[in-house]
Amino acid sequence: MEIKLRNLRRNYGSLHAVDDVSLVIPSNTVYGIIGKSGAGKSTLVRLISMLEKPDNGEVYYDEKRVDNLSKDDLIEERRHIGMIFQTFNLFSSRNAAENIAYPMEICHMDKEHIRKRTEELLALVGLEGRGKAPISTLSGGQKQRVAIARALATNPSILFCDEATSALDPQTTRSILALIKEIQKKMNLTVVMITHQMEVVRDACDRVAVLDSGHIVEEGVVSDIFSAPQSDVTKDFLSSLTNVQDSMVRWSKDGGHYTLRFRGSTTDEPIISSVSSATGAIFNIRAAGVQNVNGEELGVMVTDIGPDEETAKKAVALLREKRVLVEETKVGV
Amino acid sequence: MMELLQSMLDARMWSLVASSTWQTIVMVFLSTIFSMILGLPIGVLLHVTSSEEQGGIIPHPVFYNVLSRIVNILRSFPFIILMIVLMPLSRIIIGTSIGTMATVIPLSIAAAPFVARIIESALKEVDPGVVQAAKAMGSTNWQIILKVLIPEAMPSLASGVTLTIINLIGYSAMAGAIGGGGLGDLAIRYGYQRFNPAYMVCAVVVIIIMVELIQFIGDKISARLIAKR
Repeated sequence: MEIKLRNLRRNYGSLHAVDDVSLVIPSNTVYGIIGKSGAGKSTLVRLISMLEKPDNGEVYYDEKRVDNLSKDDLIEERRHIGMIFQTFNLFSSRNAAENIAYPMEICHMDKEHIRKRTEELLALVGLEGRGKAPISTLSGGQKQRVAIARALATNPSILFCDEATSALDPQTTRSILALIKEIQKKMNLTVVMITHQMEVVRDACDRVAVLDSGHIVEEGVVSDIFSAPQSDVTKDFLSSLTNVQDSMVRWSKDGGHYTLRFRGSTTDEPIISSVSSATGAIFNIRAAGVQNVNGEELGVMVTDIGPDEETAKKAVALLREKRVLVEETKVGV
Repeated sequence: MMELLQSMLDARMWSLVASSTWQTIVMVFLSTIFSMILGLPIGVLLHVTSSEEQGGIIPHPVFYNVLSRIVNILRSFPFIILMIVLMPLSRIIIGTSIGTMATVIPLSIAAAPFVARIIESALKEVDPGVVQAAKAMGSTNWQIILKVLIPEAMPSLASGVTLTIINLIGYSAMAGAIGGGGLGDLAIRYGYQRFNPAYMVCAVVVIIIMVELIQFIGDKISARLIAKR
């Protein structure tokens, strides 16, 4: 299901939590919305998922407007979406299977159908035979799996993930993201993933929107954003990612003066050598790494270019010609 | 001292203690049930109409404040006065204002606001995230109350019921002062007014045993409910 947002606005007092956001979330994709805490992403997801009404603007699911539904229609529409949360929000009064059964119970589905569907869902999320387990006996990853099964119980067409992996360790995060991607394909879901972790966007999302103080500052295909970030916020997110990345080799504590980004086909060419021999520039590579974004290789290199400014300028121009994105790094970054 | 021992061996006393204990049990049992019937909906209403920050699902400040004020007024009434005020009500419903059955009505009404607050605070403890999840899944307000709030609050509700029963044992003893029957009545009429300390001691000991027993059972039930999770 395609989701369209038009000029969404939500204020809390004088705070513009979401300020004039327009966005199209295409059907059948994993769509990331990334932002720092306080950027308005939680509010935005509450608006898109009909948990809150916007002060202004419209939300459409396909052609249906959903931000102004009556109470009964709202309840009915909510039964066709799924949502998972950072803190899982499972019912402690129910065991795993009963948690999964809840959304079907409230729609008054047939008991036998509920039982069968619960078994299916437990198998789908890899928890066969754990239906009777009390929630407190499950690990964080298992809890999120139960939450995913519960969210999918009524065959929704949209799944909202509100910081769904933020409370999990990196390994569990990867397995949960893999599960979400797998389910997305199987059920042709539209997945909206709210996060503050760039690695979640890299590992799971097809497209991403970057949110900063209530505005969308950048939007596009994830590999494009990673190879050619436009806004400072995005670059910030990316640099925090490359700094912690294992694949990044780092020789020097000081950052270089230039950040080079190159993608796909260009990664194979000996660009640095050819530029060096063509212009006589000397490269002092401070750090470099390659990461995999949706199956595409993206390279990052932090480097100084010498020996003088003249040559450096020529080298940069030549690099840009060869479709390498060159950014002058601010000192201290 | 001899006198005390002698009356302790008095068979008449034991039969009086037994029948008074039974009266107290009946009074407490019935008034617990009735105060729950009255207090539960009020407690739920208080919680659901409270502000969103407090976890209310249908916030309604005016309704909440009025109801909350009424509950507070009823709670601040000294019990003995509330009893006297409510006596005519017993006469209308039961036909008499004296005796065990007649006491159940003021007892229930006196305990209801207390129960309402206990229920409200138990529901307040339910994780708001869980309620939000239930809402996001398309639960109606009734479904949130019956299938989420109350089951999730069950362990605290169980300790709330324990507290209510123990309170009612205390109240029912006070009811003895105005002819309500039960162990309080026994202690006052035989122990205090007839200067017979044996009755007093017996009544108090039985009340202590009852309270201990209820607390023990209540704790066990709460622990069992928590262990199942």
